[in-house]
Amino acid sequence: MERVNETVERKQLESAAASYSYLKGLYLIPLGLLFVLAALANWEVGPLRHVWVFPAAALVVAAACLPIARYYHENYGRVRPSSRQQARGVVAVIVSLAVMVGGSLLLRSEASWSLDLPVNATAASFAVVMLASNAIQVGLKAHHWTIWGSVLVVGLLPVWDGADPSNVGLVLAGVAVMATGVFDHRLLVRTFGSAKVLNLRDGDAGA
Amino acid sequence: MLARKDELVLDRLIHEPGRLAILTVLSSVDAADFVFLQRTTGLTKGNLSSHLTKLEEAGLVEIEKRFVRKKPNTNVTLSAIGKQRIARHWDQLERLKSLSETSAQE
Repeated sequence: MERVNETVERKQLESAAASYSYLKGLYLIPLGLLFVLAALANWEVGPLRHVWVFPAAALVVAAACLPIARYYHENYGRVRPSSRQQARGVVAVIVSLAVMVGGSLLLRSEASWSLDLPVNATAASFAVVMLASNAIQVGLKAHHWTIWGSVLVVGLLPVWDGADPSNVGLVLAGVAVMATGVFDHRLLVRTFGSAKVLNLRDGDAGA
Repeated sequence: MLARKDELVLDRLIHEPGRLAILTVLSSVDAADFVFLQRTTGLTKGNLSSHLTKLEEAGLVEIEKRFVRKKPNTNVTLSAIGKQRIARHWDQLERLKSLSETSAQE
């Protein structure tokens, strides 16, 4: 994992440092799970038919982020992104919200100006959002194209006639978010090395 | 003959590969801790520590030692001078590279 040699790779170091915050893919697993739980709650499946169960489940899922944060901090370190990266993050969120809301309304909704197409607007809009936000923040990797490209194609297939397919879209998005998280994390491990390489559980005690 | 401000003089303190890597990483973030720098540069704890001390003494980085969850944590930021010097150093290296490419073609 030696990165420092006689020819320091500038671009490699800069992009590794800049992309770290976005490659912490394990956070995406509870997030994806939350999407799936939201769909199950909408379908009123099992205990999720009770109104209070989903917020409680969401709290449990959110709590799962704490050990993930500890894992990343202890094994890969802490970074505060540059102001430029933070600005890109804000732009990505704004663009994402606009695409998600606008796309869903345009493709299939009750709105008078909606195209009312037989597509899964939730899945398609979310796929576009994920492709756009990844492109803005970290640059699209092969797994982003594969996963979100597939969700986009499935969402745009004209086979979603009949009942509102939003919940199926949520499940698709949730599974895709989890899969993206796994691949992002694998990329992080390939870039920075396995957690076992450094044993810093007692703090850095450095410098 | 090159004007003085355009002279190709490499900064010896920064040119050392370990220190160049540390400053390059720090130039792409606002702040990074010791563990992250070790991860990105691949330097050993001792080497990283020694390089950081030299960079701090030269005023290129600012080091803050703190405790996070009762564990020691060393946070490092690039100083304003450090930002200028690393940007200038990479600029000099790029110029040197293009000069050598031009000479090779001639």
